[in-house]
Amino acid sequence: MTTPSIGTGITSLDNILQGLRLGDNVVWQVDNLEDYPVFARAFVETALQQKRRVVYVRFAAHPAVIPETGAIEVRELNPRSGFDVFCADLHEIIEREGREVFYVFDNLSALVTDWGTDELLANFFQITCPYLFELDTVAYFALTRTRHSNRAIARIRDTTQVLIDVYRVKGQMYVQPLKVWDRYSSEMFRPHRVTDQCWVPVLASDDAAEVSLTAYATALAPVPRSIAPWDSVYRRLRRYQEAGQELSEQSPEIRALKEELVRMLFGTDAHFLELVNSHFRVEDLLDIRDRVIGSGRIGGKAAGMLLARKILEKPGCDYSETFEDQDSFFIGSDVFFTFLVNNDLFRLRLQVARGPEPTGQEFEEIEQRFLEGHFPDEMIGQFERLLDYFGQSPVIVRSSSFLEDSFGNSFAGKYRSEFCANQGNPQQRLEGFLRAIKLVYASALNPDALAYRRRRGLVDSDEQMAILVQRVSGTVHKRYFFPMLAGVAFSRNFYAWSSRIDPQKGAIRLVFGLGTRAVNRVGEDYPRMVAVSSPELRPEFGLKVVKYSQHNIDLLDLDANDLVTLPLSQVLEGGDYPNLHLLVSKLKDGYLMHPYGTDCSEAPSDLVLTFHQLVTQTDFVSLFGRMLACLENAYGHPVDTEFTACVDENRQVRVNLLQCRPLQVPGISKPVGFPVDIRHERVLFRANRMINGGLVSPISHIIYIDPKKYSALRDMTVKKSLGSVVGRVLKHPDLSGSQVLTMGPGRWGSSSIDLGVNVSYADINTTRVLVEMAREEGGHVPEVSYGTHFFLDLVEDGIVYLPVYPDDSQAEFNHSFFASPANCLADLVPSAAPYAEWLQVIDVPAQTGGLQAHVVADPHNQRAVCYLL
Amino acid sequence: MDETNQNQTEAQTKLNPFEMALKNFELAADLLGLDTEIRNQIRLPERELTVHFPVKMRDGKFKVFTGYRVQHSTARGPAKGGIRYHPDVTLDEVKALASWMTYKCATVNIPYGGAKGGVICNPKELNDFELEHMTRRYTSEISCIIGPTKDIPAPDVYTNAQTMAWMMDTYSMARGEYCPGVVTGKPLAIGGSKGRNEATARGCVFVIAEAAKHLQIPLKGARVAIQGFGNAGAISAQLIHDNYDAKVIAVSDSRGAVFCENGFDPHRAIEHKQRTGSVVGLAGTETIPGDAILTLDCDILIPAALENVITPCVANSVKAKIVAEAANGPTVPDADTVLDQKGVFVLPDILANAGGVTVSYFEWVQNNSGLYWTEDEVNARLKQIIVTAFEEVLLASQKYKVNMRRAAWARALDRVAEALKVRGIYP
Repeated sequence: MTTPSIGTGITSLDNILQGLRLGDNVVWQVDNLEDYPVFARAFVETALQQKRRVVYVRFAAHPAVIPETGAIEVRELNPRSGFDVFCADLHEIIEREGREVFYVFDNLSALVTDWGTDELLANFFQITCPYLFELDTVAYFALTRTRHSNRAIARIRDTTQVLIDVYRVKGQMYVQPLKVWDRYSSEMFRPHRVTDQCWVPVLASDDAAEVSLTAYATALAPVPRSIAPWDSVYRRLRRYQEAGQELSEQSPEIRALKEELVRMLFGTDAHFLELVNSHFRVEDLLDIRDRVIGSGRIGGKAAGMLLARKILEKPGCDYSETFEDQDSFFIGSDVFFTFLVNNDLFRLRLQVARGPEPTGQEFEEIEQRFLEGHFPDEMIGQFERLLDYFGQSPVIVRSSSFLEDSFGNSFAGKYRSEFCANQGNPQQRLEGFLRAIKLVYASALNPDALAYRRRRGLVDSDEQMAILVQRVSGTVHKRYFFPMLAGVAFSRNFYAWSSRIDPQKGAIRLVFGLGTRAVNRVGEDYPRMVAVSSPELRPEFGLKVVKYSQHNIDLLDLDANDLVTLPLSQVLEGGDYPNLHLLVSKLKDGYLMHPYGTDCSEAPSDLVLTFHQLVTQTDFVSLFGRMLACLENAYGHPVDTEFTACVDENRQVRVNLLQCRPLQVPGISKPVGFPVDIRHERVLFRANRMINGGLVSPISHIIYIDPKKYSALRDMTVKKSLGSVVGRVLKHPDLSGSQVLTMGPGRWGSSSIDLGVNVSYADINTTRVLVEMAREEGGHVPEVSYGTHFFLDLVEDGIVYLPVYPDDSQAEFNHSFFASPANCLADLVPSAAPYAEWLQVIDVPAQTGGLQAHVVADPHNQRAVCYLL
Repeated sequence: MDETNQNQTEAQTKLNPFEMALKNFELAADLLGLDTEIRNQIRLPERELTVHFPVKMRDGKFKVFTGYRVQHSTARGPAKGGIRYHPDVTLDEVKALASWMTYKCATVNIPYGGAKGGVICNPKELNDFELEHMTRRYTSEISCIIGPTKDIPAPDVYTNAQTMAWMMDTYSMARGEYCPGVVTGKPLAIGGSKGRNEATARGCVFVIAEAAKHLQIPLKGARVAIQGFGNAGAISAQLIHDNYDAKVIAVSDSRGAVFCENGFDPHRAIEHKQRTGSVVGLAGTETIPGDAILTLDCDILIPAALENVITPCVANSVKAKIVAEAANGPTVPDADTVLDQKGVFVLPDILANAGGVTVSYFEWVQNNSGLYWTEDEVNARLKQIIVTAFEEVLLASQKYKVNMRRAAWARALDRVAEALKVRGIYP
């Protein structure tokens, strides 16, 4: 089969190249951008004569490469929207334009101005060209010669079908094909002198030497002078520094370079950049840059961690003596795309991100494909050096995406963090580390993360996955490695169970061991909730404290080289954990006794983690209170942090701040107007504890799972399915745009279906109000969930969470309304009709003759009401 | 530990047992044909003290609390009863609970009258410093009527051994002498008794063993279901399994119940609950709804959690041959009739859970004598008292041809009435 030949519009060139073919991507490397239009215009004219469709992809600031006439379709793209969005938009254009279309692109070198790195340029090329090839298009691209890294050019060369250098020697233009795929002649790759009549190959050796010496002066230089700011800005700042000059921000040039470096490392969020610019010196930024593996931004989580530490090291709130040293590394966001591109995962990601959320099984398959992916040798070399640096210290590989932990989005728990116990020989440690990175990368396609992005309108946002590699804080105890203390701390307290607790003063969820037990939902095991304003208070009393304490500990088992969860008693056997007396109370004679010395050699089963001495006899809580206030003050917004800490024998507290992000709470910006004088019969229920704020009005539908019926339901298959039915109802198109209140027994999302309806966050993330009902059943009042990771999802999505105790007279629970309402479940989702006995969908206006439900939740006064109006 | 019941819960305190106590009292008085004068003398408490006292809080502010101490009867000995801290404490409730203590002590024939006390407060809103100061001031306020030979408080809802230690210390400091006998339920380090922690469960199991013997139900292999897996429930399960070879087929807690037709080792359930916070999910068991445990096909049912769980409707479906009330008031009065009709042998709470107050008595005896017993001694004496009490209640039941509850109340009331009668009226 012969491939049809396409004209370049220049006969000499056609002769040299033996013509173009459908599928060719042609890259022109030019010294001077003015040379590119010569070839592009000739190509376009010929194409138009042959009635080809021509699309000009316009994105650079330089003058138009070809005249923007009516015969040509111009598609404008904005590189400032970021690599991810740019590529996705271009992909859509290519998909829409279809087969055998001819393209001309602006100079690709312009992209690095906005994207910062050659790596992304190469990634762009590597994902775009194969798609164009598939569609039998012909595309012209330009690059500025000798201004990009060898590695980037090598990748472009590997990908493209045709690569041609255009340069001038003594004013004479030469054209030299460097690659012409599947075509060959004895003169094809020689320099060709361009004249009006014909192009002449340079055959004589002395001529050739002169031309080549001039054109390729830096051909084998190890580090070409890339124009990509990632390299150039760094180079210039380092040069200033090496020259012994002060990197004063008074100098406009240095200030500009700093801002550029900040943008490349931290992104474009104006509020965040302002904070970074005011807290980081140039030297700090260069130090961060030196710890970036690959190129690109360090992502939101890493940025939040670094910024918070900087804020707290400033004079006025100087906690530098309190902090453990920070020696994290950052895997730049470009590495993520390089991985996707090299392993043919970019288009898969695009499809998944824009299509329906993958099922659990589909995601497992996606994860497997990521695990099968490979990194370039150069990257592996850097990873090896990183692991050499850490030796056998355990590390954690944490997602740090662009959107993560930014103002308005936390992505809490959406992306993955993987511990590496980091034991074994270097090869084993490398394998573990690579696996962790791949799993974090795959988590970008986690259904929960995609649902979260969709819900917050972030599907089209530039989302790239950087990685934060942190040394795990802690010490070795027996065969285990873990921190003494870990947890999350909020600058506001939304878990105030008593009027004595000041919600403005923050809260700490504290655990012994790795913080995973404080961050994640862990059923039937409890972190210690510390109210900063009243640290000694707790919502339990007496032996209930034992029940509502931490019974298991997450730690790294160095022998097993793995993250494990062990019973506390096993870890505390022997009672020789340092300063244990600060963490435990002793179960003695049927009551909890706080230690009066350091001896904790009792049977480990009698030790209960209360953190009593820590809270009452060290500076721990007040220190956190001050730090949280300081962070909130600097951020100008409530914050949410993750930390590890330890206390030595002198009760000196040392903290490692792992993460800091803005805490989004609806209703916090202004007081909620609370309705008064609502007629009793119009009240559906009230709540008066542990509520976050918000106002939801009007509510057209209520999804109601009756606690009694749920409790009596014996058919486990039906019981397990109720969660997905709730999800189907909430996602039903008829309810899109409506506000829905969802209420059910006990803990939503509990791993035990006896404790609550089995839902994932993706099932219920479109409800506006989530109610957990603690209705007495057979003498038992089921517990509701509080202070869990899931709860924070609700808070951040502006979903009002309310615990309701229907048997409490103060709840004014409207039993008659919920007793036997008309159920529109079967009308809405006919296939769910068999579940109608347990799950009711109440059309509020239909049920009430036109009234609608409204919820007002006032977090400051801890009161909420749902009423009809 | 609460000597009314070691498993008092918050939910319980919301229910006023006054009506139940009054109903039982009237029934027993009728059975005995008690004189109106004696009835009137017993019906009302001897002494009611209300105190209002300030406490300096951690933040430097003062807060005024209200507390009570009610002595229902001192006819048979010094008053005895717990002190509870709860926002819902009322004088009426304290009065009712004080009378209950009179009958419970009389049922097992320990030389005490009945009392109760309480402070209106929410301990969840008080730190240790404030709790201690409140306790000390309250102790000081009621010290005019308490004492080792007058009235001996003990732990109850939201009070514990630490609270008793503070009370004992306050009282001792004020008197200028060591007075361990002023309260019971103290830590072992300052005169608490061995065996007290297990006393309620141990007493309950002793009485079950006697009932089984009487009913000729072999305990070996007997099927036992236990509602509630706190102190009393869990230890009862252990004791009846370990000491009598009974088969524990189901246990429950606030999160649900687990069931295994062939029985399971309760030690595994305890370990599982310690590890996971609940019995639910115990390997080798099936999870069933919490209230289903009451109607399981079993020989012995031990309600060890909450009040009012055996309603007439539930009673209709109870299949157990013996119901041992380790909890206070698990059976509503109307359900008693249903259980009687079905021939269920009910061991009433004032007998079945009197082990706690009995070992409190032992603690007081040891404090007064200065001679402390081994745990075996404590348990042996407990058995002796409980077995005797059972036999006496059973005799009364046969004599009056009434169920064990009415018999126990009648036996208790008879003892109180007799004491009043022989002591006569002062002056």
